[in-house]
Amino acid sequence: MTNKTLDVRGEICPYPMMRTVTALKKLSDEDGGLEVVTDHAPALETIPTQAARLGYQTDIEENGVSEWRILITRMQTEVGS
Amino acid sequence: MMIELAQSAVRRSLATNVLIALAAWVIAVIVYAFARNWDSEFAMFWAFGITFGFVLQRGRFCFASAFRDIFLLGHARNMKGVLFGLAVGSVGFGLLMSQQVPNTALSIYPSTANVLPLGIHTALGGLLFGVGMVLAGGCVSGSIYRMGEGYIASWVAFLGVMGGLLGSAHTWNWWWRVHIASAPRVWLPHWIGHSGALAVTLAALLVVYVVIVWWEHRAGLVLSERARPVETPLSVSEHLRLVTGRIFVEGWPVVVAGGVLGVLNVLLFAVAEPWGFTGEVSRWSIRIASFVDASPGPLAGVGFLPGCVLMPAEGLFFNHMVFLVWGMLFGSFATAVGAGEFKIRIPKRTVRYVQSLGGGIMMGYGSGIAMGCTIGAFFSAIPSLALNGWVFAVFLGLGAWIGTHAIRRIA
Repeated sequence: MTNKTLDVRGEICPYPMMRTVTALKKLSDEDGGLEVVTDHAPALETIPTQAARLGYQTDIEENGVSEWRILITRMQTEVGS
Repeated sequence: MMIELAQSAVRRSLATNVLIALAAWVIAVIVYAFARNWDSEFAMFWAFGITFGFVLQRGRFCFASAFRDIFLLGHARNMKGVLFGLAVGSVGFGLLMSQQVPNTALSIYPSTANVLPLGIHTALGGLLFGVGMVLAGGCVSGSIYRMGEGYIASWVAFLGVMGGLLGSAHTWNWWWRVHIASAPRVWLPHWIGHSGALAVTLAALLVVYVVIVWWEHRAGLVLSERARPVETPLSVSEHLRLVTGRIFVEGWPVVVAGGVLGVLNVLLFAVAEPWGFTGEVSRWSIRIASFVDASPGPLAGVGFLPGCVLMPAEGLFFNHMVFLVWGMLFGSFATAVGAGEFKIRIPKRTVRYVQSLGGGIMMGYGSGIAMGCTIGAFFSAIPSLALNGWVFAVFLGLGAWIGTHAIRRIA
């Protein structure tokens, strides 16, 4: 499974978050997860919450000065639950 | 180990940034010293501007998202900060105004508080501003601090604001004649006394808080602000690094930023006038327009009104307000560089420039007729215990709701 990448650098508020949500909704079962590259700091607050609402977890990595890579993957559901 | 290596690489690239930030702060101090020699008021407003820019940037304090995210996400993170700032401001303004006007039975208002004529222009101004700030992705103060962070779209929005303010100046005399001259100014202490007005204002803020918390729960899960794990034990230098990191590098909790902005607003009111700047920005546009014979001419009644009422372009260009606005921009720039958050951000989609400019024009026109933006007609008006602040807020919310529908349709 490979990750899809979404580059939202340069975008104005709140499009980094909105375009991430759109991309997450389009993910198919074959896709591992979504990697979002953003330079919009407020999105570091909004994307994790929106992703969690859709059943995803996020991992934020600083990608140099004023750039972040957000790795969004499906939450692991407990076996038998 | 891998993470440590990656972090040290980031830290190395941050080092240059810290140097540039230090240079920027030195420049800020030099400007302060020069301004002080010129006129002590210039220096004071520069210091206030720098501090406002610092806090706005650290808190990512955005009035547009405060209203918009309620509808877009069911989040009220920023709105909680705004409400806390309003509560702090209301207590401080209330105390100051009770000194300025002890007898509220007389129809005298505190001369600098933002008790503004209330009417259709307040509602329409709020509505236009609300739609505009969502389209442009930031209100006027938000655009100013993002200009300092390197957002090119915010510069475009600011140009739009200047254009919209000029447009409102060209229609001002009509608004004045038909609505504003005869519109009432409703200062709550005149009707229910100082303590009554403050109590009602704080109670209303509390009601809004309860409603948005309920609204947030209705929308479902909301993750708390980013967790900051701390490894213990810490040495003294590690501890200091942690503290300076929390102040200068990580984003502030929004309630802290709101509270600090509320306190700063009270201090500015105590020494001069409430926080606000669209009147000043209108002076710049009218001055530029006068070079190409597009000046609106004399503006009726503006000399008698407080708040961010339109200002005719008279006298010297430099005044204390120039230092406030550029101080906000420069303060945000220096802070953003130090935090590693400065970057020239250029939108790739053409429609972003169109919506930033259009949103800016709507904000400019709206703040022109409402005599203030989310700061002057809202963040400084509700603490002035004036009804116009609440009416403007309701229509800001309505506008933000319309704007939210609009941006969902703009890919």
